[in-house]
Formats: sequence, structure tokens, C-alpha cells
Amino acid sequence: MTTFIDYLLGGVGSGAIIALMALALVLTWRATRVVNFAQVGQAMFTTFIALSIQTATGNWFVALIGAMVAGALLGVVVQFLVLRPVNRMDTSGAIIATFGVLIALQAAAGMIWGGDSQAFPQPFDNSAITLFGQEWPLSIYDLVVITLAAVMVIGLTLLFTRTSLGLAMRATAFNPEVARLSGVRVSRTLTIGWALAGVVGAVAGVLVAPSSTISPNSFDILLVFAFTAAVIGGLDSLVGAVSMGIGTGLVISLVSGYSDSSNAPVVALVLLAATLLLKPEGLFGHTKARSV
Amino acid sequence: MLSIQGLSVNYGPVKALTRVSLDVPRGEVTAVIGANGAGKSTLMRTLAGLVRPAEGSAFLDGQLLTGHKPEDIVRMGVALVPEGRSTIPELTVDENLRLGGLWRTRAERAVSHAEVFDLFPVLGQRRTMRADTLSGGERQQLAIGRALMCAPECLLLDEPSLGLAPLIVTQILDLVKRLSTEVNLAVLLVEQNAVTALREATQGVVLNLGQVVMSGPAAEIASHEELRHAYLGY
Repeated sequence: MTTFIDYLLGGVGSGAIIALMALALVLTWRATRVVNFAQVGQAMFTTFIALSIQTATGNWFVALIGAMVAGALLGVVVQFLVLRPVNRMDTSGAIIATFGVLIALQAAAGMIWGGDSQAFPQPFDNSAITLFGQEWPLSIYDLVVITLAAVMVIGLTLLFTRTSLGLAMRATAFNPEVARLSGVRVSRTLTIGWALAGVVGAVAGVLVAPSSTISPNSFDILLVFAFTAAVIGGLDSLVGAVSMGIGTGLVISLVSGYSDSSNAPVVALVLLAATLLLKPEGLFGHTKARSV
Repeated sequence: MLSIQGLSVNYGPVKALTRVSLDVPRGEVTAVIGANGAGKSTLMRTLAGLVRPAEGSAFLDGQLLTGHKPEDIVRMGVALVPEGRSTIPELTVDENLRLGGLWRTRAERAVSHAEVFDLFPVLGQRRTMRADTLSGGERQQLAIGRALMCAPECLLLDEPSLGLAPLIVTQILDLVKRLSTEVNLAVLLVEQNAVTALREATQGVVLNLGQVVMSGPAAEIASHEELRHAYLGY
């Protein structure tokens, strides 16, 4: 039983990162009905930028903030690349285009920083915390990850529920025509959505990097987990993305603990397939409510 | 005054509107009536900037509207309440109202918000409820309330009676009529229900296959037998 709890606790940190990446996917989906598969490519790119800043300044917070700024800019650029040219087509064209952007970003990162895996320095103590005379499967770094993820989620929730921009973003997601008729500058609002997703994805990238290494393809697996979490959560729902992201982290941790970590992606794909077969609107989706 | 001059709209090869001209004076309701497919909704959507006209223009108090984006036209003072469910069901009543006129200052919006609750007290009682829990009549009031939050000079109402009980329709239209005189609003009302519309309106315009076939005082149109038979089907 202790091992079970250990595995669960060990999954919270990675779950928080998956939750952030899933959140980024949901943000672009809500804004423009496009699943942005380039999101992990953007996160990889901004994490390389963070690594460069970290190497130059030695300050992790400066690196994180640099990645967030770069993430916002890259989000705007990618939206422009993907959505403007294919605007008149259906969004499936744009979704394919995001794959193209992903490949381009990976190639560009390879050219700039090389294709080899690089270590991202550990910014905080990553050894297990000892508390009450017992070792816990959590480190200071895990707590930093969880706290940052929680801050982002709370920040986004406040943005969406308490601010005019958030209201405009929600209205635009639900009904762009009514939003425009109410005076909302819809295309600007959509771009802000992509920028915001870029920021959230950048944070996820910087947080996940120290626990593995970083290379142009190293975040591909994160896309699998985050996409699974986002779809199970209903793609439309911030709450769904966060809770299912953490849930996916726990499942992966259990699967890796009891069998082998190479089984985790398979389990994720099985969960994804099961959701699409049994409850395609996801657990937190709005689709049903809207079809009334 | 909203002035429409020679407005034509094509959907591909289909001519939806052909050189439509009409004036919508302030302080009264002008009704556009006509059968299904006469181009009524197209006219409204073109005025709001959702559809680009092939030719012609529209002015509000001399200011050119056509060619601008919907979000700019509403800032210029023309607010459309589109046909059907034009509220956002996932948002609360308050949020639907706040959505209107987000570009205005907080103080200005607070005044409008209070005015809307004065006008439609039922919305004040339901402010924290989601819009999809409202009845059809309440939702129509909410949609009009959202348009009023934009502080319009001209209000475009597209089929507000759709799917509503006659008594509620009369209530809402009476309110709109009162509003037009009280705040000197130019109201353009599009209706399939000609009897109700002409009763509330001062001026009437009959649209058929995208063309104006008659315009004049509403009472005159309402009593014009041949016209009724030919275009309005009663």
C-alpha cells in the first residue's frame, strides 16, 4: 500500500506539467477550434531559449520569464502562420498545418541548438523530502512545479471569470458572431488566446525539462499525454484539462511503477481510444449542453 | 437617422437584395415586413457589417457604415439583435449583458446596466442564472438588453417575435416603441408577423424578393388589401 501511495504522489508533479500542456491545447481549441499539435514544438523551442538564458545568466527565474515571453510571441507567430492562410478553409486544414509547424520548429531547433540531448540544470533540490522521519516521493522541485501550475490555473481562472478580456474570450469561444456584434474585437481576442496558450506551454516546457533532457524531439511524448488528457477532459474545459492532466500523470506513474515506463504511452493511447469510443464529448465537454 | 441608399447584396449568383433604399428616422419604429426569403435578415446582417454589400451604402447621421467591421459598426452606434437565440447560453445573464459595450468605460456601462434592469426587471431577478435557464421571452429581453448595453443610436431587431407567445411579443415591442421615443432611438424592426409589426411601427416597408415594393405609413400598409394578399399572404 505504501508503494501505491508513493507512486500516486510521484505522479502529481508530472501530472501538473501534463495539466499545463493540456491547458495550452484547450486554450487554442476554445479560441479557434484548432488542436495545435505544434504546441509541444513551441514549448521545446522556448525551453531551448530558457536554457540559453539560464546558461548566460545563471538565473532560473529569468530563464522562465524569458521562455514565457518567447512563448507568447511564438504563439502569435504560429497562429498567423497556421490560421491566416487557411482561414477560409475548414479548420482540419489548419490542424494539419500545425503538424507542419511542429516539424519546422523541430528542424529549426536542431539547426540552432543541435540535435543532441542536452541536460537542463536542476534549479531546485530534487532529492526526496524527509518529513516525519520518512522519505516522501516528492522533492522541493516537485513542490515548485505543483505550486507554479496551481498559480497558473488560478490566474487563468481569475482572468476568465473576473476580467473583461476573459469575458470577451469566453464569449468569442462560445459564439464569435454575438461577440462581434457586441463590439468584441474577435480576431485580436483569438490571437491573445494563442499567445496565452504559448505562455502556458512554455511554462510546462521549462518545468518538465530538468526531469529529463531536452532535444528537438524530447517533448513528443508530452504531446501524447497532454492530448489524451485534453480529450478526456472534453477539449473545451479548463477544469477538464487540469483534472485529467493530473489524472493522466497519476496513471502514468502507477503504470510505470508497477510495470515499465515504456508502457505508459500505450496506456495513454488506450485511454484516449476508449474515451473517443465511449464518451467522445469528454468528461467535461460542453458539446451536449450546446446541442440543446 | 439611419439612411440606406441603393443597397444590393449577392450570395454568389443569387441576388438577395436589389438597390434597397429606405430611411429609419429617430424616435420611431420602422418595420420591414415580407415573406420568408424576402431578404429581411440579409438587410439586417448587411447593416451590422456581417455581410458585405455589392453596391450601395448605409449612413447613420451622415456617418458611413458600410465597409466597416461589425465590431466597429456597433461602436458607431448601430446594434443588431440577430434572429433566434442571440444570447450566449453558457454565460450568466449578467455576463451576457456585460459583454455588450465592453469598450465603454466602467461608469458608463454601470449606468446602462441599471437602465436595462429598470426596463426588464425580470433580468435583474435572474442576473446570476445561466442564459439557457431563461424562457424564450426572457432570452429575447436579454438579447435586446445586451444591444442596449452598447449605447446604440440605432437598434436593429431581427424577428424578435420568433417562437414567442403573442402577449410577450406585444409587451416587448411596446417596450421597444417606448424606448425609441424616450431616448430618441432609430429602430428598424424586421418581422414576418406583419400584423404585430405594423401595429407597433410608424413607418412600414414591404420587401419582396430583395426589393422594396412599397413603403409608407404603417397604418396605410396594414390597410392595403391587394398588397397584403400579394406579398404577405393573409
